[in-house]
Amino acid sequence: MDFIDEDFIDHNKNNKNNHKKMEVDQNEELPTKFDMEMTIKYVANHGNDKNDFEYTMTEFLRMSGIYWGTTCLDIMGHLDKLDKKSIIEFIKNCQCKKSGGIAACDSHDPHILYSLSAVQILCIYDALDEIDIPALGKYVQSLQQIDGSFFGDKWGEVDTRFSFCAVAILALTNQMNLIDVDKAVEFVMSCVNPDGGFGSKPYAESHAGLIYCCVGFLSITHNLHRLETEKLAWWLCERQLKSGGLNGRPEKLPDVCYSWWVLSSLTIMGKAHWIDGAKLKEFIISCLDTETGGFSDRPGNMPDIFHTLFGIGALSLLGYENLKKINPTFCMPEEIVSKIYQAQILEY
Amino acid sequence: MHGRLKVRTSAEEAARKKKEQDLKAKAYRNGMDKIFTLRNAENFDNNLLELSGKILSVNPDITTLWNIRRECIIKMTTDNPDSASTLFDRDLNFTELCLQVQPKSYGAWHHRSWILENSPKPDWNREVSLCTLYLKKDERNFHCWDYRRYVARKANLSAESEFKFCDEKIQKNFSNYSSWFYRSQLLPVLHPHPSDSSRPISEEKLKEELEIVITAAFTDPNDSSAWFYQRWLLGYSDPKLDLACFKLTQSQAVIAFTKLVDLSKDKITISTNTSLDKGIWRSLSGNKSDSIWIQKGEFEISDDILIKMNHNDKTFELEARKIDNNSIIGIKLPSFGYEFGAAVKEELKNQLDSCNQLLEFEPDSKWTLLTAALLMRSIDRFQYHEKTLEYVRKLQKVDSLRAGYYMDLASKWILEEKLKNMVESGKFDKIDLSSLDLSVVYYNQFLFIGNEINLQNNSKLNKKSCKFALVDGCKVTF
Repeated sequence: MDFIDEDFIDHNKNNKNNHKKMEVDQNEELPTKFDMEMTIKYVANHGNDKNDFEYTMTEFLRMSGIYWGTTCLDIMGHLDKLDKKSIIEFIKNCQCKKSGGIAACDSHDPHILYSLSAVQILCIYDALDEIDIPALGKYVQSLQQIDGSFFGDKWGEVDTRFSFCAVAILALTNQMNLIDVDKAVEFVMSCVNPDGGFGSKPYAESHAGLIYCCVGFLSITHNLHRLETEKLAWWLCERQLKSGGLNGRPEKLPDVCYSWWVLSSLTIMGKAHWIDGAKLKEFIISCLDTETGGFSDRPGNMPDIFHTLFGIGALSLLGYENLKKINPTFCMPEEIVSKIYQAQILEY
Repeated sequence: MHGRLKVRTSAEEAARKKKEQDLKAKAYRNGMDKIFTLRNAENFDNNLLELSGKILSVNPDITTLWNIRRECIIKMTTDNPDSASTLFDRDLNFTELCLQVQPKSYGAWHHRSWILENSPKPDWNREVSLCTLYLKKDERNFHCWDYRRYVARKANLSAESEFKFCDEKIQKNFSNYSSWFYRSQLLPVLHPHPSDSSRPISEEKLKEELEIVITAAFTDPNDSSAWFYQRWLLGYSDPKLDLACFKLTQSQAVIAFTKLVDLSKDKITISTNTSLDKGIWRSLSGNKSDSIWIQKGEFEISDDILIKMNHNDKTFELEARKIDNNSIIGIKLPSFGYEFGAAVKEELKNQLDSCNQLLEFEPDSKWTLLTAALLMRSIDRFQYHEKTLEYVRKLQKVDSLRAGYYMDLASKWILEEKLKNMVESGKFDKIDLSSLDLSVVYYNQFLFIGNEINLQNNSKLNKKSCKFALVDGCKVTF
């Protein structure tokens, strides 16, 4: 799960009484219907022009880009629009012979973020045996630290995102025994904050994206009972704003990607009914680009493949018609995950 | 990819932009090719630093380029140890440049800490000053706040001095969740509760904090930052781990905890000095964690039982009494929230008055309604029971996005009142929970004690939340 935080900087925030600015202007005419056809094309054609500027400049996260694309096409029932063979070839070339880790693209260094994206894509294509799974397992194992935390790669950055990636990779490849799960849980639990949320490391501020990583981590390791769900789920349901959209922290702008981070966490805790699903649906659809297909972060902005997946993912959690069911823990089609691993989900 | 407005441009303008971008993409490609060639040849020198720097200063999220810089620095300082301080300083300045372009770049922040951790003479105080400066530019940048907490520890700054910084930030602008958040981390260190570890701060300090936060909240009642802090001060009602309830009949023993527990993992031991200690507890749901655990067998109903639970060297007890020839039961209600002292309660009453005054002018003010309800519960949750429910029902309308939350909250408070009455009356046989507008049943771990539970006429009830109904001998009507 590559996770780009883009928590919006609102430079007007020093100016008091500007709450209206914290919201999105919904007076303009915004889309109210999700035309799937155009978005299927948008995702399928993404990257057709290898020299495209955007495409070139985002090569450092290519593996995640492909995961976003395959997952949302599969959720829309059109995985066939992508060339499976060349994608698998690409992934095989990205596995590092020395460490076993997987890089975002050729020549770049392996990292746990892109290792997970690669595993997710391979699960969708039922092609895990195309890479060296034991080597990947050893790579993940090598990144665990004495305190249970995980480095993202050998350079030592510690983050709860990487704890999530580690257990997700190992769960999907059936190698959980390679790490000290109890210690990993203790580390994640050491990141709980007074407001019930989680940050990137101990003492770090609560943030919906990192909350998803930690709740997802506890769901995978069957430790959801360690959460104070009432407190955390309240903080999360307060992310919904009048526009129906969700933000990532108090007093921030809504953004389509938080539809996923917040709603999936609430779903895992059995509290999805604590927000207004119909209003959220409206907000997500208002971020559709009706000229090109694809979703942007907020109405009227440029669409991209990252927001397209998390918009569609949230719509699927909300039971949107004609979308396949998505698994809230792994952000992959439920029909794929259910064959591989059973994560813990609270019913209420 | 975030916050980029889609702008309409003329065909000419678009063509011009495309050309410009094509050139940039080409330059990037060439630059990266050169960098990888040099790296493969192990030419870790100034030239490689310069080339990677050119690209990173435009796009600081390319992790591999940071890795290459680190490889250069390691190689160059190994070859020439005298160059270390110059190289480290130069890269510190370089990350600053990158952070100006992208203040939220994980890569740039991490590189900075790598430099300092590997530098022979790291100046942690300089880092603290840098954070102070950056937080002036954006007081919500959580990367910077998190980095500040890390460097403040490295610089051995006291919690007092950090509290002072944090307090100044709040005084300058009440609407700053990040500062209130830091405050809630620092206060328990500076003013811990002397006797109760489940309470974050002392009563004395709590009273002062309540005064500060209500002023802040009333300054701008629509800003949520201070209200969140207020709720933290009043305490959330998630219960602490304890024994909750026990029931022994001739064919089964049921033991319940205030929270979900995993008896196979959570290092909890139960002892009763009866044959139960030899048996195996199984979770009611079959899940690894549960609040209700069952042991089947043939049991003798003779004397009262004292159940002891040990967890993390703490012992919890529950007394169970023989009520007839068929059952032994024990029940211990949790506190449902903090119990405050007289001085704090006085302040809470003042605040409640202020909230009610504000509600006269702004009857639909969401945060005021919620806080008033929470204040009443903190003063005396049962005396104000009806009034708190009235406020929560109103919140379902004025804050309809969260109607589901308020429904559940009301259901929880209703159950608490019912449980209190049940324990006071000492009658556990029949529990009447009909026609209460319940959406969910909290406190499953107390309800299996009854033989007949009436949940009729709760049309919005989520039956999945009534897991206690699975306990044998517990007859539930919906």
